[in-house]
Parts: sequence; C-alpha cells; structure tokens
Amino acid sequence: METVEMEESGMGVLVSLCIEAATKDIYSVQKWRRQRRTLERLPCQLGNVLFRRLLRRGILYPSLLEIFQYCVEDVDLKGETSVDAEWMAYLGAFRYLCCLNLADCRAINNASLWPITGMTTLKELDLSRCLKVTDAGIGHLLSNSNLEVLGVSETKLTSVGVMCFKSLKHLRVLDLGGLPVTDAALHSLLALTQLEKLDLWGSKITNEGACELKMFPKLTFLNLAWTFVTELPFLPSVTYLNMSNCSIYFIFNEENMGYTSRLEKLVISQAIFNKNPNEEEEAFRYLPKSNLSYLDVSKTSISNFQFLVDMKHLEHLNLKFTKLTDYLLDPIICVGENLRDLNIGSTKVTSQGISNLVGHVPKLTTLCLSHTGIDDSVLPYIGLISSLKVIDLSATFITGFANCSENYQEKSLSLTALQNLNNLEILNLEETPLRDDALHPLASLKGLKSLFLKGNFLSNASLEITSNLPNLKCLGFREALLAYSELCLFKPPKMLNVLDLRGSWILSKDEVLQLCNMFPHIEVKHELRPANISSDRYNIPGSSSSSPFRKTTKTSSSTHLHLSQLSINPNEKFADERIKYSIEELLDLQNASSSSGLPINLNTDLLKMD
Amino acid sequence: MSMEDTVKLISAEGFEFVIDRKAAMVSNTIRNMLTSPGGFSEAQHGEVRFPEISTPILEKICQYFYWSLQFASGKESEFHIDPEMTLELMMAANYLHT
Repeated sequence: METVEMEESGMGVLVSLCIEAATKDIYSVQKWRRQRRTLERLPCQLGNVLFRRLLRRGILYPSLLEIFQYCVEDVDLKGETSVDAEWMAYLGAFRYLCCLNLADCRAINNASLWPITGMTTLKELDLSRCLKVTDAGIGHLLSNSNLEVLGVSETKLTSVGVMCFKSLKHLRVLDLGGLPVTDAALHSLLALTQLEKLDLWGSKITNEGACELKMFPKLTFLNLAWTFVTELPFLPSVTYLNMSNCSIYFIFNEENMGYTSRLEKLVISQAIFNKNPNEEEEAFRYLPKSNLSYLDVSKTSISNFQFLVDMKHLEHLNLKFTKLTDYLLDPIICVGENLRDLNIGSTKVTSQGISNLVGHVPKLTTLCLSHTGIDDSVLPYIGLISSLKVIDLSATFITGFANCSENYQEKSLSLTALQNLNNLEILNLEETPLRDDALHPLASLKGLKSLFLKGNFLSNASLEITSNLPNLKCLGFREALLAYSELCLFKPPKMLNVLDLRGSWILSKDEVLQLCNMFPHIEVKHELRPANISSDRYNIPGSSSSSPFRKTTKTSSSTHLHLSQLSINPNEKFADERIKYSIEELLDLQNASSSSGLPINLNTDLLKMD
Repeated sequence: MSMEDTVKLISAEGFEFVIDRKAAMVSNTIRNMLTSPGGFSEAQHGEVRFPEISTPILEKICQYFYWSLQFASGKESEFHIDPEMTLELMMAANYLHT
C-alpha cells in the first residue's frame, strides 16, 4: 500500500491505516485525544509512530503532548525551532521517556532543561547545537543517573561543566565535539569506565590528555579531529579513530609491540606531518595495519604510500587531494584484493596509471576519478572492472570520442566501453567536454539508476537518450541548453523521481512551473522553482515525505532556491509599491524623498506608468 | 457452507462473528492460532476468543478482513475508519498482526 511508510514497514496494513486516519488533521486528533484510558494502554511502539507522524504533519503543540504521557518512549525533535520551555514542561511528565533528541532546538535554554531533572527512565539525550545551554544547565542533567548516551557538542559548555559528567557513571557515548574541553576535564572523566564512544573534536586536549585515553577500558570510537594532539599512545580497544586536521607526529607508539590492535577505521584527512623529518613514514611506523579496513588520508601532503602495503584488509581508501601520481600507485595495487571503494580524485593520476590498476581490484564497486587528468583512453580499462557500481568521472577530459586523430571519420564512441559493466548504477559525467553525439552508448546502460550530466554542450538530443533507461531514478541535467518546447516532448523514464535542471538559464519561471505540473511525480529542481510547490507536494495526505516544518533544508539545491528567491523578491515588492499608491500619493512621497531616502529612479518609474 | 470453511471470533462481550476462514487468515495471529500443531482448542473448534477486543472493534476488524481480500484481488476501494475508533482499532490490529 502506498500509505505504508518505510519506518513502519514492519507494521500491518490495518495499523498503518489507523495511524493515517488518526493523524489526518487536527480535527481527527480532537476525536480521540480524550480517550485517556486507551492512551494509557497504547503500546509505546504505536505511540512513538503516532507522535512522529503528528510532529511531521506540523500539528503537534505543547498541550497536545499530554496525551502521549504514557505511550511514548522515543522523542525526536531535532531541528524543531519551536520547541521551548513549555514543550519541555510536558515532556518532563512522560513516564517512560527513554530517548530525547533536542539537537538544533534553538529555543532550548538552561531553564527549559529543568523539567527533565531526575528522569530515571531517560537513557539517551542529545542537546547538540543548543546554543543557549551553558554550564548552569548541566546541573539539571546530573540527576538523570541512568543516562547512557549524551550529546552536548557545540553548546556553550566549558570545561567546568564537562567535569560534572563524571557522576553519570552509566555513560557509554559522550559527544563533547566543539567544546573547550581541557586535559584536566578529561582527567575527571576517567571515572566513566563504561565509555565506548568519545567525541572530542575541536577540544583543547593535548598530548598529556591523550595519554590518559588508554584508561578508558571499553573505548572503541575516538574523535580527536582539530585538536593539539600530535602523539597518540597505543589504545588497544579503539576500532575507529579520527585525527583529521591534527598535526601528527605518530599514531600509536612502540608500546603496542606484542599487543593486537582492533583499529579498523582511521580518518586523518587534512592532517599535517611536518614535525618529523621522515614525516608520514614515521607517523605510521607503529600503526597496526593488519585489521584496518577504512583509511581516509585525503588532503594530506603524503607523497610516499609504501605504508599501505601491509593493509591487506583495506576496503575503503580515500586518497583525494594527495600527491598521488601514476608512479606511486604500486602500493594500492598491492592491497587491491579487498578494495571496494577507491577515491583518487584531484590527484595527478592519468589514464596510464588506471590501466595498471585493472586486474588487481577484483571487488571494486566505487571508483572516483573526478578532477584528474584522465581522458577517453581510460574508459576501455574501466570497462574491464566488472564489479563497478559507482563511477565518478566528473571534471575530467573525457570527450566521448576514443580516437582523437585528425580524421574525424575515424573517431569511435568511447563510452561504449562502459556497456560491459552490468552492475553499473551511478555514473557521474558532470563538467566534461561531452557533446550530444558522444552520449549514445549510455542508452544501453540499462541498470543505471542515477546519471549526472552538466555542461552547456548538452541539449535535448542527450535528454532523449535517457528516456529509454528503465531503472533511472535520478537524472542530473544541469546547465544544458534546453528550451521549454523541447522539454515538453521529453518522455521521462518510468522510474524517474528527480530531474535536476539547475543552471538551465533559458527556462523562465513560468516554464519551470509548467514543468512541475507536467511531471507531478518528479521532483524538478531549478533555481526558479518556487519553494511552496515542493511543500505542497509533501503535504499530500498519506505521502511518505516530511512536512515543510521538517524541511530545514541542508542540501545545496535548497540553498540555491533561497538565493534565487532573495534576488527576485525585492523587484516584486517594488512593483507592488507602484501599484499600491496612486500617482498623487507617489508624487507626495517623491517630494518627501530627501528625508526618507526613497529610490532615486522613482521619477522614471512614474513616467513609465504614464 | 461447512464448518471447516468458517471460524468463529468472539468479542469481549461475548458476541460471536462467524466469518470465512480465508478472511480470518488475513491476520497472522489468527492464522497461527488456527494452524499451529499441538491441538490448541482454537484449532480444534475453529473459534477464537478475544477478551481484550470489544464488539464494535471486532466487527470493524472482520470488515477489514473482507476488504483486504477484495483489495488483494484488485478491487480498489477506500477503507474508512472513524477517528473515534482509531486508537482501539490500532491496538487490536497490532495484536492481530494485520
């Protein structure tokens, strides 16, 4: 049934229909909100879904919260700017509240935390980015003695407040990201022996504090990005380590000789290795490499990749923006056996280097080569890596024609090489010099789910090619020369639900609107698309998407939208003003303009009106 | 209609609903009760008691069973639920895994 949502997929159809009927609008809610005894018996699993649905529909308000007092365990209010002390007063009365997410709730302050004091049922609390929460508010949390998960990143807490957390003995996960945590504060947290995840990015921890991290016996996740830590002692239990943007001297010292490490994921993006003459070689010397499956060393100055050789279990490798060249690829070839995800974008690797990789990466599913010097000669080699599902070839020199000899007739379509890739689902060819006539081979990539094209060489001819891709769900067709009359003839693939036409400057606002109406099941993206259209669409009863409430937009597309609105609105307003006043009134206004600072071109506008 | 083809569902107040076995099988809970080996009385007598489900709710559930069969056979129609009974019905449906 279309009404069944993903999150409720485990539920029966009748349950979903009931939830749908119960949350249709505020009048439906009024019909059942007084059934107190029933509400007291309602299983939390159903209460949680009801709550979520009402919140998403935007019909949840403080006094309505009361009805959920006995039947909700899990409250996620992330990003709800309306959540304030009044909401909290009701939430404090929830008998079985277990998880409370208040991240990005801007109205939450110290006083509004008071109602959740002493809630022994509460196990998880997220206050991340609640900018009004300071040390004074922490006192309210300390009586929640059963807290296991606590997030206070990017609040206004100081080291003094953080020290208080030592009394929350059951804490397993503590997110202190972006707080000025000092070594002394970290020392006091050593009392938290159950700690498994610790986020300390952007803190004031130094090597001295880092030394004490080995006192947390169960620590598996550690984030020290943007700190002053340069040397990290051996931490036997840690499986995930993030030291991005640190100035690294060494990771794990010789102490670990003889111990086994569990380290599986290491992220040291943008790290600097300049304190040591041997740089990265020394930094990785004692790093246990045998279990490592995920390595991100992007944007570092690493120029010797020999340390990779021992990482036989490596599955995910990110070398973006490093000094990698064709001659330095040998270590990657050595560990290629298990590689699934390889990112060597923005490096000096060329087609020649990729050709050496073929045959050594049998499990590779994702390959990113964006912003490299590769050209069409790489495509036959990529075509041989049959396991590939995702290929990013954006901002490269791929023209779509293999033979660049002077004789035009000899040119053959190079993208045909990709036809052998039966698993290919996502292909990114943005910002390449591809032209319409080179894209024909794409028509035979039947498994393709997402295709991204961008460039003003593209026109309607390319769009037609995509019509025949049966599985295509997302089509990016940006900055193309597309006329509205041509788009009207476009037969979108059956599965398509996103059509990105951003940057198609020929289209007018009305035409974009027409397109939205013409393809009601497709989300058409364009700078001139009015924001309210999308929210209307999301408000269709029974649709699984979120309400405009929740759409606090994080994607780049939406920021585009906002920008375009900003640039349009002032003009519209000005047009309104001219209609609003009569000519006499305007003339009066003009006389007064010296003091009020009206636009100077008022006179010319008046002339136009006449 | 023979006894084997029907089942009897009994509400909290003692009202009996005799419906097609095929329809009752829409609910996974009832299906398990009626088909599980081990000689449960439900399986033997073809009747199931629901001391927690009131008569109007059980009636609505029986209506749903038949609606569901029709829907599955391609006859699309809306199954209307009054907001007043959503909570009770939701809980019963949750219990019946339907």
